[in-house]
Amino acid sequence: MASVRSATKAFTLPPTVRALPSGVPSAKYINLNARAPADEHGHGHGSTHRSDRPPKWAAGIQLSSGGFSTKTFTTVSPTVNFQPRLLHTSARNDDASHAPSFKAYQPSSSSTNRAVSYFMVGSMGVLSASVAKSTVTEFLGTLSASADVLALAKVEVELASIPEGKNSIIKWRGKPVFVRHRTQDEVSEARSEDWKTMRDPESDESRVKKPEWLVMVGICTHLGCVPIGEAGDFGGWFCPCHGSHYDISGRIRKGPAPLNLEIPAYEFNEAEGKLVIG
Amino acid sequence: MALADRIYSTFFKRNSVYVTSIFAGAFAFSIGFDMGINSFWDKYNKGKQWKDIRGQYVTDGAEE
Repeated sequence: MASVRSATKAFTLPPTVRALPSGVPSAKYINLNARAPADEHGHGHGSTHRSDRPPKWAAGIQLSSGGFSTKTFTTVSPTVNFQPRLLHTSARNDDASHAPSFKAYQPSSSSTNRAVSYFMVGSMGVLSASVAKSTVTEFLGTLSASADVLALAKVEVELASIPEGKNSIIKWRGKPVFVRHRTQDEVSEARSEDWKTMRDPESDESRVKKPEWLVMVGICTHLGCVPIGEAGDFGGWFCPCHGSHYDISGRIRKGPAPLNLEIPAYEFNEAEGKLVIG
Repeated sequence: MALADRIYSTFFKRNSVYVTSIFAGAFAFSIGFDMGINSFWDKYNKGKQWKDIRGQYVTDGAEE
């Protein structure tokens, strides 16, 4: 480390300020070139150096109890890090025989490598999409009705076993279902009525798929009794509980029931002559 | 390699094509997988299933 030698020269000036008889202050022999000491005199510069002043440790004038003093360093240590740059003459060894070869691990063709990488990612996507799809479909399959429930949900009726003008009562989903093989007179009677003035206006055509077959849920719409067939004032059904009269199309005509007898979903199997309810 | 480049530019270059072909491939794969598993099952249980022994019990004339 280079030593810092300072040439310090202290001097003391006699008081030179006095007042002239005219009252003007007189200051003889004062060096007006002397500059004020470099200090942070409350200007908010902080402790950083001002660029127009040499830093305190380099040179300057200081006012101390001994008077003015100026100092100038003849040798100033370097203010930045100093690193020597060295030269060397050894050459780079490009084909070092002792270094292992990575040729076997390098791809022979970058385009093949790229295509194989994308193919692997895509195969993973294919597999996971397939797994996700079958998971969702299998889970939704558990929500659907099982085969035994579906088998109970439908009832087949042999139509040939019901002669004309007779009723048959079938149990379907725990409820009785009336199947009536209506005669031609009953059909014309049901269709000749003025259904628009009834309590629950419904035409006979809208209640049957085939005019000779009337299929209804046999539960009185009043409080759920089972009406008696071929009874009542209108030649249809009569509920013994509270006296509701249904006509030959199952429509409410008299009594407390508010609605016609309900029609279940049914269809005819023409090939085997069967009625499928449900 | 020309083949790899052609495959890349056909399927992988555009993400829309890539994802679409992944879903289409998943659809085809699940169908093929199901068919393969079913055929293996039928071959493995040959002679035990109802469709194999139905002819011994039901004749076509008499419907059950």
